[in-house]
Amino acid sequence: MDDAPIGEPMIAGAVTPGESQPWSDRGRHLLQEYLPAVGVFVGVVVVWELVASSLDLQEFILPRPSAIGTAFVAEWPILQTAAANTLFEAVGGLAIGVLLGVAAAFAVARWGRVRDVIVPVAIAISAVPIIALAPIMSNWFGILNPFAKMAVVILLVFFPIMINVVRGLTEVPAMAIELMRANAADEGEILRKLRLPNALPYFFTGLKVSTTLCLIGAVVAEYFGGSSEVLGRVIVQSSSRLRFDITWSAIMVTAAAGIAFYLLVLVVERLVIPWHSSLRELES
Amino acid sequence: MTARGVARAVLLFCGFVIAVVLIWEGAKAIGGDPWRFRDGSGQEIVYMPPLRWEIVSDLSLPHVWEIWGALAAPVQREQTQSLAEYLVGAAIYTGREAALGFVAGAILGLVLAALFVHSRLAERALVPYVVASQTIPILALAPLIVFAFGNGVLGIVIVATYLTFFPVTIAALKGLKSSDPRALELMRACAASRWAIFWKLRFPSSLPYLFAAFKIAATASIIGAIVGEGNPGGSQFGLGRALLNFNEQFASGPAKLFAAVLASGLLGISFFLAIAVAEALVLRRRRSVRAE
Repeated sequence: MDDAPIGEPMIAGAVTPGESQPWSDRGRHLLQEYLPAVGVFVGVVVVWELVASSLDLQEFILPRPSAIGTAFVAEWPILQTAAANTLFEAVGGLAIGVLLGVAAAFAVARWGRVRDVIVPVAIAISAVPIIALAPIMSNWFGILNPFAKMAVVILLVFFPIMINVVRGLTEVPAMAIELMRANAADEGEILRKLRLPNALPYFFTGLKVSTTLCLIGAVVAEYFGGSSEVLGRVIVQSSSRLRFDITWSAIMVTAAAGIAFYLLVLVVERLVIPWHSSLRELES
Repeated sequence: MTARGVARAVLLFCGFVIAVVLIWEGAKAIGGDPWRFRDGSGQEIVYMPPLRWEIVSDLSLPHVWEIWGALAAPVQREQTQSLAEYLVGAAIYTGREAALGFVAGAILGLVLAALFVHSRLAERALVPYVVASQTIPILALAPLIVFAFGNGVLGIVIVATYLTFFPVTIAALKGLKSSDPRALELMRACAASRWAIFWKLRFPSSLPYLFAAFKIAATASIIGAIVGEGNPGGSQFGLGRALLNFNEQFASGPAKLFAAVLASGLLGISFFLAIAVAEALVLRRRRSVRAE
């Protein structure tokens, strides 16, 4: 940190002074780090609720948090089915897309010439708004077929995973490779002991991007039509009926799923590559 | 990128397009519907592919030349405007919305990052939300935003802005903090103002990070514009509307939908290329300054 918080005023009420045990240091650090964010959250919700009720605003675009909560409870049966259907598309597409992306990355990384051709093309393709393919997928696989949405997710997820894993497998320190070769390691050993561990952090970076993309892909593909019992349709239909409380509760469900996926990947990342430097930085 | 590098990239791209067309038509030659041609005397020549795959039938995957032909044909019956003209117009319309959103989002992202880099309190209070919002599917909000701002361009521009500012904020924050600590010390020792430190040190060192984010944001802004237009209550024009309309006409003319998808893809790639060219120009000048 170049802007050291020297002399920065302590946040009022953050800690009781005079404690010096390590655990309270840690607690103070956590409070100092997270209190402003928590404060903003509570402040926004309270101000939103107060402003909406005191000014008697039309509960149109921004219903009060309590109204969203009520709609969430009332519409739970529909939201539950919709979430299950959408998550099936998103997770299914994510799983297939990640498998294909990793497989393609291994094939591409194996042959240097192929890599020089494929990687620039893959980067150019990922500049294409893949969402535009959603209507074609609906026509190919049937508008009610969940695989039509899954196919969009697969395409969206494939490129970031492939590009990241190829980088991880190939951007290995040349010295390390030379050292292993000098010690008569064969290509298989170099792959297992050097390239694979090197690729894991890249893979997790790609996976984190993909968890968000898979939900975006599923929900946006649903905007373009299909079964009505999915989150994307609930969002579109409730907003065209001006039931924005339902729209917001569906958005909250989608957001919760997105955050849950992301946290899951973080936990798995921590378990699989505890040695990675970007994790150590977070802890310091 | 050198001239040779550019030539190589163009060749690669042409090779890729040719490969796609060959695979496309090859699959149709093996498992598609019968190919029908007329020779010079008007005699019909029919080629029967040996297999029948539903996925490459003329309805699912029209011949490349049918898509090409559809581009020249009128967009609707009894209209003079050709599909190509219509799609170019739609792409310009969508591109303008996306560009407006991109510029607004980039400025917003930069201002926020500049605020965060100067105030630890603001950083602690707000950055968690900027990061958390990366993990939620922002496009779920698109119908709501478009609805809130009426049928005009504004709602769609806001969706594009929204999608642009996240990657830019995060990358700019990283980039503004990435300047050489020794240079920072030196400037502070010389009593340089925060303003001078920002423009002469922090901002230049954030440029590589910024361009990486701009490339992501360029695509994101177009996705935002297309999804914004494609929503009920969205625009009457633009590629998003074209995709929806031609989706409804798919059974009678699948080639139109493919042409609209092609136009979306070309718009995305041209935005990406524009950023890549700007990056090459800006960073090349910087490198030559450094070499002096």
